Amino acid sequence: MVNPLYLIIISLMAGFVLPLLDRVNRKLSLATFIGVLLANTVITGFWMHGFIQADLGTLSFSTAGFTAPLSINFQLGILEAFVLLAINLIGLLTGIYLLKKFNESPLAGMILFIMVVMGANGLILTRDLFNAFVFMEILSISTIAIITLKRTNESLSSGFKYMLASGIASIFFLLGVVFIYFFSGSLNLDFININFTDYRLIAVYMVAIALLIELKMFPVNGWALDVYESTDAGVATIISVINSTAIAFMFYKIMPLLPSNFLYIFGIIGALTYLMSNLMGLKQENARRLLGYSSIGQMGLLLASIIFTAGLEPVLRIMIVGGFFLNHLIAKTGLFWISGLIKKEKLKDWRVIRSNKSLMIMFGIFIFALSGFPPFAGFWAKWEFVKSLLAGQNILIIALILLGSLFEVIYMFRWFIQTVKGEYKEDELSIMPSGKVILTTLLGTLGFGLGILIMKNYYGFNFLFTLPILSLLFIYLIDFLPAKIKGIMSLGGLAYYGYYLYTLVQFENPIQILFGVIFLVGSGVNLISTLNRSEISKGFYGLLMMMIFSFGSLLIARSYLEFFLSWELMTIASFLLILRGKNAQKASLMYMIFSIAGAYLMMVGFGFAPELIGSSALITGLTYVQLPLISIILLALGFMIKSGVLGVHVWLPEAHAEAEADVSSFISAILLKAGIWGFLLVAISVVWNAPQFDVYYWMGWLGVFTALVGAFLASFQEDAKRLLAYSSMSQVGYIIAAISMLSHLGWVSAFYLSLNHMMFKSALFIAIAGVYYRTHTRNMYEMGGLIKKMPLSFISVLISIIAVSGVPPLSGFGSKWLMYSSFIERGWYLQAAVLFFASAVSFLYLYRLIHTIFLGQAKYEHKDVKEAPVWFIIPQYIFIGAIMVLSTFPNLLIKPLSAMASQYFNSNIVIDGYNVYSSYGHWNGNLIMLVTMGVFIVPLFFLILFIGKITKVKQFNIVYAAERPESPQTTHVAHNMYAHYRKALGGWGKPRIWDFWHGSAEWAHTMGDFFRRIYSGNGQTYLLHIILFFVVVFFLGV
Amino acid sequence: MDIFIKIIYAAISILVATLYGLILIGIVHKIYARVHRRIGPPVWQPILDIIQTHGRKVATSHGIMFFLGPVFRMAGGMGTYLFMPVIFGSVVFSNYSMAGDLLLVMYFIFFGQLGMALGAGEGGHPYSPLGIARGLSQMSTFELPFSLAVISIAIQYQTLNITTIVAAQQGGMLNWTLFTNPLAVIAAMISLLGMNMHSPFSLVLAPQEIPIGPPIEMNGSFLGILQTNRALFASAKLVLFMNLFFGGATNLPIMMLKTFSIYMFSVFIGAAFPRFRPEQSFRFFLRIPTLIGILSVIVIAYL
Repeated sequence: MVNPLYLIIISLMAGFVLPLLDRVNRKLSLATFIGVLLANTVITGFWMHGFIQADLGTLSFSTAGFTAPLSINFQLGILEAFVLLAINLIGLLTGIYLLKKFNESPLAGMILFIMVVMGANGLILTRDLFNAFVFMEILSISTIAIITLKRTNESLSSGFKYMLASGIASIFFLLGVVFIYFFSGSLNLDFININFTDYRLIAVYMVAIALLIELKMFPVNGWALDVYESTDAGVATIISVINSTAIAFMFYKIMPLLPSNFLYIFGIIGALTYLMSNLMGLKQENARRLLGYSSIGQMGLLLASIIFTAGLEPVLRIMIVGGFFLNHLIAKTGLFWISGLIKKEKLKDWRVIRSNKSLMIMFGIFIFALSGFPPFAGFWAKWEFVKSLLAGQNILIIALILLGSLFEVIYMFRWFIQTVKGEYKEDELSIMPSGKVILTTLLGTLGFGLGILIMKNYYGFNFLFTLPILSLLFIYLIDFLPAKIKGIMSLGGLAYYGYYLYTLVQFENPIQILFGVIFLVGSGVNLISTLNRSEISKGFYGLLMMMIFSFGSLLIARSYLEFFLSWELMTIASFLLILRGKNAQKASLMYMIFSIAGAYLMMVGFGFAPELIGSSALITGLTYVQLPLISIILLALGFMIKSGVLGVHVWLPEAHAEAEADVSSFISAILLKAGIWGFLLVAISVVWNAPQFDVYYWMGWLGVFTALVGAFLASFQEDAKRLLAYSSMSQVGYIIAAISMLSHLGWVSAFYLSLNHMMFKSALFIAIAGVYYRTHTRNMYEMGGLIKKMPLSFISVLISIIAVSGVPPLSGFGSKWLMYSSFIERGWYLQAAVLFFASAVSFLYLYRLIHTIFLGQAKYEHKDVKEAPVWFIIPQYIFIGAIMVLSTFPNLLIKPLSAMASQYFNSNIVIDGYNVYSSYGHWNGNLIMLVTMGVFIVPLFFLILFIGKITKVKQFNIVYAAERPESPQTTHVAHNMYAHYRKALGGWGKPRIWDFWHGSAEWAHTMGDFFRRIYSGNGQTYLLHIILFFVVVFFLGV
Repeated sequence: MDIFIKIIYAAISILVATLYGLILIGIVHKIYARVHRRIGPPVWQPILDIIQTHGRKVATSHGIMFFLGPVFRMAGGMGTYLFMPVIFGSVVFSNYSMAGDLLLVMYFIFFGQLGMALGAGEGGHPYSPLGIARGLSQMSTFELPFSLAVISIAIQYQTLNITTIVAAQQGGMLNWTLFTNPLAVIAAMISLLGMNMHSPFSLVLAPQEIPIGPPIEMNGSFLGILQTNRALFASAKLVLFMNLFFGGATNLPIMMLKTFSIYMFSVFIGAAFPRFRPEQSFRFFLRIPTLIGILSVIVIAYL
């Protein structure tokens, strides 16, 4: 094992040798510079290797021939080796990244860079407090010097502010060290063994505060923001990653000296820093400063995680702290590097990144990693951290961290969306230096690989759960193929996947099969509509298959983590799919924000849930555990957000409307069911282990009002897809309410509705996709009279809307009958009445949909419109066929559904032939179908026989207000069709929920803006902050 | 064999109901005329009208959906009627009530309305969708008190089966829902005003605003079918109300007497009040009648 002293010695020697070599040749000095960084990396790499190979424990290295405490000693364990390797590697890569710059600037830059790395290395290794002070000074002074190398006003002044702040911090640190020596008689961390209570507290307090200032905790971090904003990208990387890591590690070392109440306060400060800097980040428009806010936030998170994981077993602690650390290290380094490549200050100017494909993908990877998505390290760390915080009852910390994380996601994804979707001119293309791009790509790949490594090796996820990611990668590799080939391949893959799940994985519960049909068969049929894509459609099928495979994983997940992982993968895929829409910026952002909020609720909900016994699928496992009430509420809320329940539905119409035409049907018909699936799982756990408080009664009401409000909102839309979106919201409301009943009949109707909704909503969305494909508009009032041009689409819409409305004889009536019977049976009378009202209102939007598009007067510009392409027609008619079969032979469905529900409740429906009897009434779907056909045929024949001669006239042949209108298309009744109803509703028709969320968003931004003002940019103010911070925190602790 | 007899019974049943409905409409015309101090047409005039419209040699059609609209409408009327037992205990008039319960009848009412709305829509005349938009909106509002009343009696009789509901009301007038659950009946009867679309709720056909409304483009046999259905559908609705709230009927004369009286309720109100504006009508149903409906449920379920 190489003596750690060499890390210091090599760097110091380089400091002396470099000027000499530089005299000879700049190339020589550059080579030496890289050589030193490389040597550091190799040495630390060997250490890491050694520690992984054998359990060497913690090694101590003494200096100057004496043992500690007489001389300084270095400590090297696996932890030190890991951190050292990480920062030296980043040091090396950043060094390479900056090569060109160093080649052009004075030699001092290289030397200072090496000094920074050396200071960080020393700070991590040393056990001697005074020595630590020395290394800290080296680190600070060289950082300040390197900042001021760029001779602009901003960087000079920010360097000066840094100097002020770190000067004060140094004074605190030194005084603290002096006091520690005075009280304990030692400077060596291994030999200080007194308790720093009462007046002695001040000693360790000063040391800790100094480190907090250096770590840029809120609010003593204004100077750091100015630094991030004004320096070069490479330097910002060093400060954000290397510098901060070393200080954080120093804090970790002195932690044992600190009393627990102070540790708790420091932990809160860390979490608060994370929250506040992300809140303030919301208002940022400058990319570098935004990254600064994010860096500071991540440091707060790191500090909090170091403090609050103190009691955990080492491996888990490394998972959490190490996960946050590596995530920050890689993502932030990558983003700073990209910022150096782009050279644009404004966030919105970053869209030039689109000129470089691989850089753009890396940008996405870093954003997803920072936001804590799987498979990146941050995801696992966050999951474990929340779990451990819950075990320690630290609710406040969880709230601070998750809220902070939400804000971070908001600005990160706003930036991401702005970048990927923004308009850019061709001449804006900047030629990126390929070396740096490769370096960045390497880093992104490293982060990705690391995440996969954790996933496979630490958690041992099997192939099925990595399949979504693998399919994305695989299809990315073959993305050059035409869309049709990829589509057919996807279809084949999906068919095999379904077969595999069905035969080999063996579902434990028939409900899994039902949802399997909804998720996989439904997706398969919907996939046919995507075959209409004529262009290559880059990325589309990868994301689509990722989403579909995630659905499959949700079905078979056996643990909370498996479920949550699949859930998050599904969110990523669906978000990116929605983002593909032409004007989907706002829609996809809203989708992401609500999804993340839901995911966090779920994460906490799962955290509260008791451990599962055995390794059966969740649907079985959850029946045996007693979920606490809080867990039920949080999980149910999380799932309801995905299903678009009233109050959190605002993302839904946007996402449905703005997604590409053939994607909307997936979102509405299938993605919403994923929320239902989760909601059902929670409900299953409640069946036998009901909580004291009947929370499902209230969820039932929520579902019922979702159904009503959704129906009204749908009726007032002008956009066909928004109309269908709100209709989905309404239908999901029925399902939520029916599940909430927790009764046999209720669940049968929920299952029936879920399957039915998948079919008719798919058919409707695909039909509208066909119409949009031909007419290029979604506004219904811009259409009309298309029945003659698109008769097949018309028939499909007709059958579907009859199925939605619940008019007999089609399958919709079955769901209505089951639903009302179950509500009345359950004693939910008023709820049933609201549902009656909702389904009556649904006629309004259904008629509006079919009338304004297909009936009435056609538009001149649509006179040459053709029927929708065959790829749209096929899936529609598959669904229509299924609806017709199930309508005629409802037993095919009712019997198995009843069996599914009777696993949990005593069955109280009797099925006798085609008759279905509930305790209140009966229904014979087959006879209804026959009678209906009979009564339909009689007048039809009568009419055909007796009508005499028929004159067929064109649509325009009308007389209106005593004239034959010159332009009959203007008489098409479509726009604002239910104006009178809106008027009747008066104040009830106002979009209050919409206003609420707008208000919340504005409020958050205003708060961010308000707090941001404390960073005046004035060094004296910053000093005042530090002094106040010192005093206030002390009194809080005492 | 059984099926054929059933079909023959159904045909008889429908014929009787249609003729009765036509006469009823004739009587209503007469009453309106007398209120207006006119002599009015003879009561059999609607029958003559139907023969006349069917006798037209030429009919104008706007397309397939237009052609099918009246068929849907008629099928809706026939179906609604056929899924109900008309006369308690009668084999001929029991129809196909074994196919489903009250929920089926309530939803089958929509079948014809929806089909007709589509057919009228293809006609391309702006008055059609205007009338339909009004009709659908109004329907959604009066459906609320009506469904509350239905829920209330479902709780009361513990069933949704119409025959059972009628059976429970036998044995004297005081067993009628009218007396056992008056709140529900009040709510439902106010809804009936909307369903029958006489003034003040005559929004759909509103002569001075959107003359004739949805069927404006209908002519010849199309119109004939619609007129036939209007009669059948009217008697179907009345039979439903009679069954649910007024003890049903054990023979034909009682059925006619009861349904006539129920109909006269909306006719008298219609003759006495002017028409609401659409939003006034919607608000009306969502206020007092809904409250009464809620009360009826609460009283029956919880008190």
